[in-house]
Amino acid sequence: MLVIDHISKVYQVGGQNFTALHDISLEIEVGAFMSFVGPSGSGKTTIINLIGGLDQPTSGKILFQGKDLGKMDRNDLADYRRKNVGFIFQSYNLLPVYTVYENVLFPLLLNDIKESAVRDKVRNLVDQVGLSDQINKKPTELSGGQCQRVAIARALVKDPALVLADEPTANLDAENSYHILELMLKLNREFKAAFIFCTHDEKVTKYVRREVRLEDGFVEWDKSKQPEGHLI
Amino acid sequence: MIFKVALKNFARQGMRSVLNVVVTALAMVAVVFNLSLYNGFQDQAVHNMQATDVAGGHYRSQGFDLLSPMDWEDHTFEVPGSLASLPASEKAEVLLLQGQIFPNRRLFPVQLRGMEMEQTLLDLPFDKLKEWDKPAMDILPIIIGKQMAAKAHLSLGDTVVLRWRDKFGAVDALDAQVVDVVPLINPRIDEGVAWLRLDHLQQITQRPDEVSWVAVKEFKGEVDGKQFKSPEDLMQDILSLIRQDRRYAVVIWVILIFLAGISVFNTQYLNIFKRQREIGTLMAFGMPPGRIVRLFTLEGSLAAFSAVIVGLILGTVILGWFQSVGLDVSHLSESQIPIRENIYLQINPLEVIASVLVIVSIMILVAWFPVRKISKVDPTLALRGRAIT
Repeated sequence: MLVIDHISKVYQVGGQNFTALHDISLEIEVGAFMSFVGPSGSGKTTIINLIGGLDQPTSGKILFQGKDLGKMDRNDLADYRRKNVGFIFQSYNLLPVYTVYENVLFPLLLNDIKESAVRDKVRNLVDQVGLSDQINKKPTELSGGQCQRVAIARALVKDPALVLADEPTANLDAENSYHILELMLKLNREFKAAFIFCTHDEKVTKYVRREVRLEDGFVEWDKSKQPEGHLI
Repeated sequence: MIFKVALKNFARQGMRSVLNVVVTALAMVAVVFNLSLYNGFQDQAVHNMQATDVAGGHYRSQGFDLLSPMDWEDHTFEVPGSLASLPASEKAEVLLLQGQIFPNRRLFPVQLRGMEMEQTLLDLPFDKLKEWDKPAMDILPIIIGKQMAAKAHLSLGDTVVLRWRDKFGAVDALDAQVVDVVPLINPRIDEGVAWLRLDHLQQITQRPDEVSWVAVKEFKGEVDGKQFKSPEDLMQDILSLIRQDRRYAVVIWVILIFLAGISVFNTQYLNIFKRQREIGTLMAFGMPPGRIVRLFTLEGSLAAFSAVIVGLILGTVILGWFQSVGLDVSHLSESQIPIRENIYLQINPLEVIASVLVIVSIMILVAWFPVRKISKVDPTLALRGRAIT
C-alpha cells in the first residue's frame, strides 16, 4: 500500500544542513499496526509527516497506492490527506468551539458529505470510543483520555487507509494509555486501517505488530513481532 | 459548508468575537461622530452668519469696505425703490457708522449699527428696541450682546454717553440706555457693536433714508449701480477656514480609520496567531489552502458585518443621545467663530457609507492577509504554532 523508497530529508537549521532522515526504505502493508520508535531527534515525527503528506522528502519517493507523493502539489497533497489519512496528535488538536459530535463529523464535511447522510455513522463511532454520554460536550469539558478518544474517532470517521499517530499516549496516564491502545487495536481490526505510531512509549511498543527503530535518521532495525497487548 | 463552519466558529468564539465586533463598531461610530461633528460645526457657523448678518447677500455702494471704518460714512445711500418695496421678510436695511461710548468715563469705540425694526429676514432678538416708544431726543435705547457687555462692563439698564459724528461732520452726544443685553450667536455682530433702531441712527446722524447696506433674501438683479455681495463674498474668511478645516477633517478621518484598522488588525492577527494550531489541524485534515483562506476571511467578514449592525445600534444610541444634548461650545465666545450655542451633528449619509465601507474592507483585508500568509507555510509549522512568530 505504501512504499518508502530511499528517502532522505534535509532541513536548514541556523544556515546549516541537518539531515533528519538518511536513505530510508520501507514498505507498509494494508492494515498494519506498527510504530516508529527511537530517541528524540531520531526522525520519527519527520517520517510520519512525510507519510502524511504534511512535508516532502528532499530525495527519494513515497508511493501511496502507486502514486508518488513527491510529485503532488499542495492541493493534491491536501486531497490525499483528506481522503486517505487520519491524524491523531499528542495534544489532540480538537477544534475547541465544536462538540464531540461536531469534531468527529468535521472530516466528513470536508469531503463534502452531508451531515444527514452520516449522522448515524458519527454517533456509532462516538459510541464505539465510549463517549456517547459526552457527545454534546466541548473539548474543554473532557479529560485528556476522552479527548484522545474523540481524536481517534475523528481520525477513523472517513475510513482512511492510514491513521498516523504522533505520540498518542504522551499526555495520558498509564491506565488511559492502555485503554486508548486497546481501543486502537480493536478499531484497527474492524476498520482495516493501517495504524502507524511514532512513540518512545514502551506501552505502545507492546501492542504493535511491527517496530521500526530509528537512530539519528537511520533505520537501526525493523522487526515484526507478536504483540503483547491485552487483547492478543 | 464553508459558510456554516465560519458562522459556527464566529458565533462560538465568545469574547474574542464580541471584542472584535465591538472594537470595530466603536471605531465606525467614532469616525462617523467625528465627521458629523465637523459637519455640524461648519454648517452651524455658516447658518449663524447667514441668519444674523449675511442673509442671501448684501446690496452696498461701490467701494464699501467693512474693514475701513473711516470710509463708512462716505458709502451710505438711499435705498432704491426696487429694494425698499421688498417685503419685510425679504430685506433688512442696515446703517453702519462709527461712534464712541464712555462707560465708567473710559472711551470705548463702537460700531453703531442701525437695524430696520420691521424686518423679519434676520434673526435678531431686538424686541426691546421695537417696543421703545419714546422719541430719540432725550435718551437713546441701545442693545448690546453679552460679549460686548462683558468687555465694556455694561449691564441691563445702564446709561452711558454715546457720541457720534453726523452727516455734516458735527460731533454730537446723547445718553444711551442699555435696554437689553442679548445672547448673540455671531460674535461679529456682538463685540464692539451697539445696536440702535435704524430710524434713531438716521435721525441723530441726519441721514434720513440712508443705509450702508440692504441685506436681501436672494439676489434681486442689478440695482442702480449698487454692488451685490454674495454670501460667498461676505463669508469668504469663514468659508476658507471651513475649507481648511475640511482638509484637517480628512486627515483626522484617515488617522481614525488607520487607528481603527490597526485595532482590528491587532485583534484579528492575535486571533489568527492563537488559532495557528487549528489552522495546522485543518491542513492535516486535508482542507486545501484556498479553502482555509476563504474560511477565515469569511469569519472576518461576518465580524465586519456584525460590527456594522452593532455600530448601527450603538451609533443610534450614542449619536441620538448626543443630538439631544449637543456639545456646548460657549468657550468659543472669545473667538471670532460664529458659534456660541450647542452644536449638533450633521450626518452625511455618503460619508457614513464611505467610512463603513472602508472599515469593513479593512476588516476583511486584515482577516485575509495573515491567513493567506499562514496557508502558504509548512503545515508542520502551523501544527506546532510556529507559522507566525
